[in-house]
Amino acid sequence: MARLASPVRKRDRMSEAALAPAPVQDLPAARLVDLVDEISSGLDEPTWLRDWRHAALRRALDTPWPSGKEEEWRRTPPERLPRRAESALPPSSNGAAPTHLFAPRDRAALLHHVGGRAVNAALRSDLEAGGLLLAPLSQAAREHPALVQRWLGSTHAPAFDRYGALGAALWTQGMFCYVPAGLQVDHSVFHLTSQPADGSDLWAYTLVAAERESAVSVIEAAAGPADDLRDDGRAPFVHHTVELAAEDAANIQFATVQRWSQDTAALTTAVAAIGRDAQLRYNSVSIGADLDKQRIDLELAQPGGHADLHGVFAGRGHQHIEHITRQHHSGLNASSELLVRGVLTDESHAVQYGVIRIDPGGQKTSAFQTMRNLLLDAGAGADPIPILEIEADDVKCSHAAAVGPVSADQLFYLQSRGIPPAIAERMVVRGFLAEVVDEIADQHLREVIDELIEAQLQIPHTVVSE
Amino acid sequence: MTAPLFAIDALRVAVDDIQIVKDLSLTLQPGEVHAIMGPNGSGKSTLANTLMGHPRYTVNGGDIRLKGQSLLELPPDERARAGLFLAFQYPTDVPGVSMINFLRRAMSARRGEEIPVREFRQTLNQVLGELQIDEQFVRRYVNDGFSGGEKKRAEILQLGLLQPEVAIMDETDSGLDIDALRIVSEGINAFHSEGNAILLITHYQRILHYVQPDHVHVLIDGAIVESGDAGLAERLEKDGYEPFQTLNQERSRQKGLVTA
Repeated sequence: MARLASPVRKRDRMSEAALAPAPVQDLPAARLVDLVDEISSGLDEPTWLRDWRHAALRRALDTPWPSGKEEEWRRTPPERLPRRAESALPPSSNGAAPTHLFAPRDRAALLHHVGGRAVNAALRSDLEAGGLLLAPLSQAAREHPALVQRWLGSTHAPAFDRYGALGAALWTQGMFCYVPAGLQVDHSVFHLTSQPADGSDLWAYTLVAAERESAVSVIEAAAGPADDLRDDGRAPFVHHTVELAAEDAANIQFATVQRWSQDTAALTTAVAAIGRDAQLRYNSVSIGADLDKQRIDLELAQPGGHADLHGVFAGRGHQHIEHITRQHHSGLNASSELLVRGVLTDESHAVQYGVIRIDPGGQKTSAFQTMRNLLLDAGAGADPIPILEIEADDVKCSHAAAVGPVSADQLFYLQSRGIPPAIAERMVVRGFLAEVVDEIADQHLREVIDELIEAQLQIPHTVVSE
Repeated sequence: MTAPLFAIDALRVAVDDIQIVKDLSLTLQPGEVHAIMGPNGSGKSTLANTLMGHPRYTVNGGDIRLKGQSLLELPPDERARAGLFLAFQYPTDVPGVSMINFLRRAMSARRGEEIPVREFRQTLNQVLGELQIDEQFVRRYVNDGFSGGEKKRAEILQLGLLQPEVAIMDETDSGLDIDALRIVSEGINAFHSEGNAILLITHYQRILHYVQPDHVHVLIDGAIVESGDAGLAERLEKDGYEPFQTLNQERSRQKGLVTA
C-alpha cells in the first residue's frame, strides 16, 4: 500500500473565531463569505476551488430555505432538522477516541476522516500506478486540478436547493475517488468517517467519477457513538453531498452505511449521473441518527443506462427516516429500480417519497419502485408514497408499497420446525432486509451491519401475533 | 397400558366463531400410517394446522396428546421439538432466509443443541441424494420462487432431516406430477419406521397407491364419518364422497330431531 501525501495541511490558519458557536440560525452574509475563505484557506485549496465555493454560497443565499410546504418537505418535522450554516466550523479534534464501524480487510484503497480531518489514506500501489485516485477532495484539487474541475459539480447536487448549495460552499470533509477509463478495480474502495466526537456539525462532500468502461465499488461507512453526542439539546448536524458520475459503460457500486449518534440530524443530497450503457447501484443503509433524510436523484439522460437504488433502514425510539428519491429518465431505453426496505420499532417513523419522472425522450424506459415497511410495534408507522410522472408513451413502470407487521404465517412456518419465536422473528427480519444488505460487497461489513441492526431493533423484539 | 403415540380426543376447532372440526377422535400407534380423506371444505387443513398449533385456530373442546402429554398449551415450536411435524399444503416462503441456514437452525432446535457443521453436512447430503435434490437447492431462500413440486420436496427434505415421531402430511400429493409424486412418496416411505407414525391428509387416493395406509378415515363436515382399512380408499375412488355426505346429512338430521 502506498501512502498518499499528507492529506490536510495548514490547519493552524483556521481562525479561533470560527470555532465559537454562533447564537443565530443564519450568520450574516458577510460572515459566511469570510467563513468560506477560512475553510478554503484552512484546507490549502487553489483559488479556483475557493471561487467555486463562493459561487455556491451566492446561490445558497439567493435560495430560500424550504418552506415546509413542498411535497418533499412537508412530512419532515421542521424542528428536528437545523437550518443553519454557521455550523460549518473547521474540523476540530478534541482528543476523544473516534468511533469506527469496522476495519476493512481486503481493500483497494482507504481514506479515513475523523472529526472532519483526514487521518489515514492508503492506495494499493498497482491500482495507483493504474491511475486510481482516492484522496481528500482539497488535496486532489491541488494535485489533479483538471480532473477535479471536470467532475466537481458535474451533477446538480450543488444546485439542489439551499442545503445543497450550502453543502458545496461549506464542506470541510471532502472525498474524491477517480477511476480512469478501462480500469476495473478488483476490491472495494473504502471511505470511513468518524463523527466529530465533540458533537460539532459535519459538512461532507463525496465525489466519485468513473470513466468509460471502468468499474469500481465504493463503500462509505460513517459512525458516531451508539448514544447521544450532546447534552445541551442541540442536535449535531451532518450534511452529506454525494456526486456520482458513471461515464459510458462504466460500473459504479456505491454503498453508504451510517450509524450516526442517536441525537444527530442527518441530511443527504445525492445525485448520480448514469452515462450511456453505464450501470450504477446505490445502496444506502441507515441505522443511526434522530432524523435521517436522504434525497437521492438518479439521472438517466443517456441511452441504455441502468441504475438501482436500494435502501434499508432500522428505526427505533422516535427516529424519523426519509427517502426522497427521483428516478429521472430522459434517455432512451434506460432502466432504474428503487427498492427501500425498512424495519421500524417503538414510535419510529419512515417516509418514502419516490418519484419516477420520464421525459418525452425517455421512450423504452423500464422503471420500478418497491417500498416495504415492516412494523414491529403498534406505535411505529410509515408513509410510502410512489409518484409517477410519465410523458413518454412506450414505457414500463410499476410501483408497490407496503406497510405491515411480521407475517404470522412466516413465524408459524419457522416455529413449526422447532425454531423458538424469538429466533424466528430474527430470521424473518434479517431475511426481510437481506435482499439489500447482501448486496454490500464486503462480507465483514455485512456482518457488522447485521449486528448493528439487531442491536438497533433490540431483536428479538416483541413478537407480533395475530 | 402405555399412552398411544398420538391421540386426538374429541377435538373441536373454531375459526372466527365458526365450528369447523367437531368432536374428532383418532389414535395413532407407532409404525402406523393413517389416511384422513375428505372433500374440499371438510376441515382437513384446519385439522392439520390446529394439530401444529397455528394461532389462527381456536380449540374449544377436546385434547391433542403426544405420548400422553397434552399439546394444547404448547406453542408450535415446542410441539415440533416434542416430535410433531407438519408438511404444509402451501409452504410459506421466507425471502432472505437461506434453506441451509433454516435447516441447520431447525435441526439444532429439534435435537436441543447446536448440530456440528460436519454432521449437518453429511446428513443433509444423504437426504438430498435420496430425494434427488440438487445441492444448489439449499442455497436458495426458503420456498421463495419454488415450483409446487420443489416446495413439496423441500417439505419431505425437512421430514427426513428432523425425524419427527408423528408426521402430518397435509395434501402433500397436490400439485405433483407423477414423477414428483413417486419421489415424494419414496421419501415418506424411507422416513417411515416402526418407531414413528404418519397421518396423511388428502383429497385424492392416488398417493395411497405409493404410501400404504393401515387405516383410512373419511372426514365430512369436520367429523370422521367412517373408518376402515385401505379398502375404504378404494371405495372412495369408485363412489366418491357423495354417499358419505348423504349419510352425514342423514345423521345430522336425526341428531337435529333428537335435540329439537
